Amino acid sequence: MAPTKKISLTEEDLVRALKGKETIAIQALYDMYSGALLGVISRIIQQPEVAEDLLQETFIKIWNSADSYDSTKGRLFTWMINLARNLSIDKVRSKDYRNSNKNQDIENNVDFIDSQRKITFNADTLGLRDMVTALKPEFNDVLNMVYFKGYTHVEAAEELNLPLGTVKTRIRMAIMELRKHFN
Amino acid sequence: MKEAKAYIETGILELYVLGQLTVMEQKEVEDMAAAYPLVREEINAIEIAMEKYAVFHAVKPTSGLEKKIFEKIAPSAANQPQTNNPKIVQLNTDHSASEIRSLRFALVACVGLLVLSFVALYAMNDKLGIANQQIASLNSENEKFASTVNYMNAANKDLQEIAAITDDPKWTVVKLGGTTIAPQAKMRIFWHKSGQHVMLDNTRMSLPENDSKHQYQLWAIVKGKPVDLGVFDAESQPEKLLLAMKAIGDAQAFAVTLEKRGGSASPTMEKMIVQGAVAI
Repeated sequence: MAPTKKISLTEEDLVRALKGKETIAIQALYDMYSGALLGVISRIIQQPEVAEDLLQETFIKIWNSADSYDSTKGRLFTWMINLARNLSIDKVRSKDYRNSNKNQDIENNVDFIDSQRKITFNADTLGLRDMVTALKPEFNDVLNMVYFKGYTHVEAAEELNLPLGTVKTRIRMAIMELRKHFN
Repeated sequence: MKEAKAYIETGILELYVLGQLTVMEQKEVEDMAAAYPLVREEINAIEIAMEKYAVFHAVKPTSGLEKKIFEKIAPSAANQPQTNNPKIVQLNTDHSASEIRSLRFALVACVGLLVLSFVALYAMNDKLGIANQQIASLNSENEKFASTVNYMNAANKDLQEIAAITDDPKWTVVKLGGTTIAPQAKMRIFWHKSGQHVMLDNTRMSLPENDSKHQYQLWAIVKGKPVDLGVFDAESQPEKLLLAMKAIGDAQAFAVTLEKRGGSASPTMEKMIVQGAVAI
């Protein structure tokens, strides 16, 4: 995909265009975030077709409920990724999905998806890999369970057999480590 | 500031960004963010970090998905250029079709009205004929009635005159009796001697009806000689009750004979029906 064709807008313009029902907003959002959103969705939903259906659903919901986004409460992407995650969790918990899907060991899910697709990381990923491995794996696991796998932090605590306070601390430590690398 | 820092260190902002909080807890974080710029900045920093983390874990969608999404979001914009032309053509044909349909309806309605008009016209003509007949029969009845009234007026006038004559001593009433050939016959006349008027009283006439070839003739006998006073018909329903005859100033008797129509110069004596002398 040629990068020159991609549409990129500032957060402010993007929100204004989206709320004004301008189709350019959805084009920009797609160019900027479809991969990131599908990254989250496809770690919760393992079948690629179902994941892409959900990505489609997510964009339609973004378009239709643009009015309910409040920029004073957070960034547009945070709102979008939460929409995508919630739609995916709803799908995973629905009967028809559970019946048609072999239960994958949820802890290996990220690695499973990554090994299946082999498209997840770009050239910069190596740096992230270094960062991620530099991070204590038990810290990163908790964040990934919540961010990528659709666990609530309470469920993660139960799953890992950890106190809720410890889970909260680990999530905070992991994010602080990410901030050091990204910001 | 201390409060804000302590709040940040609880780790609740990370859970907020991860969508892990209840509605109540979210509200609390939002209030804190509104109150402390430090909290707002912290949230923003966490969001950006997570956003970048997500982008690094991006999975590229298959090509074509984009188009599917755009078609669902803005189907009107995607379809407009393709459907515009056929739509216009369809609209035009639809329009003319409906116009033809409405014209057809109008035509049928016109024919219906025309038929209805003819039926109405025929019915009215029929009624008009009946009305004309009624008017004609009423007119003829009216004429009959008018003639009856005229006759009765005339008859009334004659009767009044007869009554006046009989009361007037200047008039002489002469009664004529039947002869041997018509013993039942009788009649009377009024004679105004000085005025020389002779009037025939049809109300008291009792003569056999004459046929169309004959007429009765009245004679005055003056010194033994008959003088013609005119002809008359004996009818069951006479036109006039009082009939004026020719004038005579002197007479001793009157007689009536049956003569040929129009009268004779001299009376046929053997056909004398009635006669009567003037009483002096």
